[in-house]
Amino acid sequence: MNKHVKNLAPEATDLSRRSFLVGTAATGLVLGYAASGIDQALAAPAPANFEPSVWYAIAPDGLVTVTCGKADMGQHVASTMAQIVAEELGASWKDMRVQLASNDPKYNDPVLGAQITGGSWSTMMNFDAMSRAGAAGRIALTEAAAASMGVPAGELVVRDSRISHAKSKKSMSFAEVVKSGKATKTFTADDLKAIKLKTADQYTMIGVSVPQLDIPLKVNGTAKYGIDTMLPGMVYGALVTPPVRYGATVKSVDDSAAKKLPGFIKAVTLDDKTTTTTGWVVAVANTYAQAKKAAEALKISYDGGPNAKLSSESLLTEAKRLQGLSDSGQFFVKDGDPDAAFGSAAKVLEAEYTTNINIHAPMEPMNATAEFKGDILHIYSGNQFATRSGAIAAGAAGIDPKFVVMHQTWLGGGFGRRLDADMMVPAVQAAKATGKPVKVIYTRENDMTMDFSRPLTYQKVKAGMDGDGKVVALSHDVVSAWPTARWGIPDFLSPSVDKKGPLDAFTVNGADFFYTVPNHYVRAIKNEMAHNATPSGQLRSVAPGWTFWAIESMVDEIAHATGKDPALLRVELLDGKGKNDGGAQRLRNTLLAAMGLAGYGTKKLPKGEGMGVACVSSQERATASWTACVAHVAVAPSGEVTVKKLTVATDVGTQVNPDGIRAQVEGAALWGMSLALFEKATLKDGGIEQTNFDSYTPLRMSQLPEVAVNVIANGEKATGVGEPAVTVVAPAIGNAVFNAVGARVRGLPITAEAVKAAMKA
Amino acid sequence: MPNLNINGRNMSVEAANDTPLLWVIREQLQMTGTKFGCGAGLCGACTVHLNGEAVRSCQTSLADAVGKKITTIEGLSAKGDHPLQKAWVAEQVPQCGYCQSGQIMQAAALLSKNTNPTKEEVVAHMDGNLCRCMTYSRIQKAIMRAASDMRTASATGSERRAT
Repeated sequence: MNKHVKNLAPEATDLSRRSFLVGTAATGLVLGYAASGIDQALAAPAPANFEPSVWYAIAPDGLVTVTCGKADMGQHVASTMAQIVAEELGASWKDMRVQLASNDPKYNDPVLGAQITGGSWSTMMNFDAMSRAGAAGRIALTEAAAASMGVPAGELVVRDSRISHAKSKKSMSFAEVVKSGKATKTFTADDLKAIKLKTADQYTMIGVSVPQLDIPLKVNGTAKYGIDTMLPGMVYGALVTPPVRYGATVKSVDDSAAKKLPGFIKAVTLDDKTTTTTGWVVAVANTYAQAKKAAEALKISYDGGPNAKLSSESLLTEAKRLQGLSDSGQFFVKDGDPDAAFGSAAKVLEAEYTTNINIHAPMEPMNATAEFKGDILHIYSGNQFATRSGAIAAGAAGIDPKFVVMHQTWLGGGFGRRLDADMMVPAVQAAKATGKPVKVIYTRENDMTMDFSRPLTYQKVKAGMDGDGKVVALSHDVVSAWPTARWGIPDFLSPSVDKKGPLDAFTVNGADFFYTVPNHYVRAIKNEMAHNATPSGQLRSVAPGWTFWAIESMVDEIAHATGKDPALLRVELLDGKGKNDGGAQRLRNTLLAAMGLAGYGTKKLPKGEGMGVACVSSQERATASWTACVAHVAVAPSGEVTVKKLTVATDVGTQVNPDGIRAQVEGAALWGMSLALFEKATLKDGGIEQTNFDSYTPLRMSQLPEVAVNVIANGEKATGVGEPAVTVVAPAIGNAVFNAVGARVRGLPITAEAVKAAMKA
Repeated sequence: MPNLNINGRNMSVEAANDTPLLWVIREQLQMTGTKFGCGAGLCGACTVHLNGEAVRSCQTSLADAVGKKITTIEGLSAKGDHPLQKAWVAEQVPQCGYCQSGQIMQAAALLSKNTNPTKEEVVAHMDGNLCRCMTYSRIQKAIMRAASDMRTASATGSERRAT
């Protein structure tokens, strides 16, 4: 037993060590490792298969199965990985299949050294590895075919899963080569590095909108999500979560009424040493409907804890207080001397920008199924961060993380929510307490009130202009909960430029923009009160969702204060000088493309309508996709905003699947609009007030504007598209509202009341 | 033990009368294509047909479903080839896909009565179905494509009969 854990490194990481090496592929975390069961289905191919790389196997029938180590939450990343492999391998698309990896460290991201999906990083960081894996397979198959045919390998051509020799008219299919058993060549890391990859002009698969491999399963009900897990003998857990988001403790549980209900097994009060949850109880029963009834019948008394009186207002007040202190926070950017420059500026503008709490609310509520089998803890849950979630599951079970196997499924939406691992805790502890496999399903109310939300943010931006209206200084304070600091993984934090210790760059990313401003500082200030009361998470696009709201609104305000066109001011600031060389020009070009496509400055608009622009990079400077938006809105005298059209242009360098990119960019832009206009959560008495889709209200079909997506592929390396278009839309809409009726709204979401109030002002 | 007629088959189930049909379908019958989204009839992920009408199975009790013909995504077509399912693939609608069973079932109820809906009719009929990936424009396109395919098929069918 446990032969599968033999090869674990002795320093196998656990939660207490919390070591995490980003950017070092060779030393990826060794956490829970694939064991029996799924591995035969998911990971270990039958012996007759040809497995030129950990990333795929070719079966004797010629089918190529790519194992995707990234979470597929609707961005079709598994299909994208298969497409990159297929390009270099020379396989026909109809022969490609995908499967989802377990948490075996061999499937760790080649750049990140862990299994984590986010940041619009996947395509950019896996393009090279998948290309080389595909090419290695082609080389091995070609050499085997050459030996079989008795011709020189160099004269063979590979196309559509077939290897052909023109002169002799001989050819072999991939299936025939694999069946011959002669494809045995292996590649070292150096061999892989030495392979000469195709150039873009040789691509036949990259840049083609092949059908996504997961879509057929998603139209006939057969795609399996975590919530669809069925295990023999499995029972169900329903949660009772406390009225306070974080910090409550259970004083007593009276299960006398629950005990009288059919199917009830046990109420389990969580003892969560990972501190992911506080004050949770799981009612376990034979069916979920019975578990829910039992949960409702439990009488639980709580100590509300230190956050029980807090509200959104208190978090905002605290944020303002912290911002006002000169020694708050740490510097993320410090260029030149803004204070001196403000002193000599001809004009200074100052503004505060806020965003409210936002909830992920993926359509598949959080859930996890846990089963102890021998020494191994099996977890079934669609998850974006198998490496850390496995460690949380282990922490909840009190076992070493190397004994946890994470079974990946399709994710019914991720958006960053499934980077967190809270759902592991009730499933694991209920399974442990009952000795049965347990599936815990959150109600929508649990899901919304216990979200690791986008934090409430408060930003103060100050800009100084010289006598010619040129921006010479900009200071930017960002106050928020720190989502990534909560993970306890030092390598996900960044050093501060003032050497005051690490900061959470996932709260300020984007503020290090590509505009040229000689004197510029950005300060990251942790709102400890918000951090404790509303443990925050990564919500699609993360910090740029609020930093660009502030910056792109302020640039507009500067333009109006200096009598310039807001779009042309951006062009002026994107001069590509110094550290901004390259990126600034790409962003400028993207903005100009969006302006042209939208008819910016050329279309005559009726009264009450307006256009606004914004342009963004995201997430990090090093992983930017250049994105610009022109929003066209109509504003009613009541202040109600109708978005007539969003024109989005995005420079992604190289397109793998153009149709997939358009789908992602459109979805991201509509997320941006939904956050800009329709989504708002609030904290009251320590709890999130919104509990379901009647009070938390993402965009519906009737609110859909026209969305024009334009993708620029200029041959630079492929970048990500899941997120950047989220961040560009809110400031574009805000700026359009100003353009339409002269109302400047500085808080998200933009409500009719706020617009009306600003119109009067 | 109540009997359910589901996707053309009679199946006996064991659950209390007030159990939401959703959980009976998912757990007892192990048909997991019908999804749980909100438990309150606010999102449409659990949509099935009762006697051809689209209903939220999280708001329908087992007792209310007895004696009626229930259709789930698994039973919408014999081979997953309902015009809507084909259109959903052609337009590459799903992203995460979780809401799409409900979207397709909701749309199917519309097209079974009206194969020539206006855009406004589509929006009015579909507005209760949330898609967090925001695939709405593709959903609209796919419904229009399926409607057009159904009209063509029925026109071709009548021509055949005529000749």
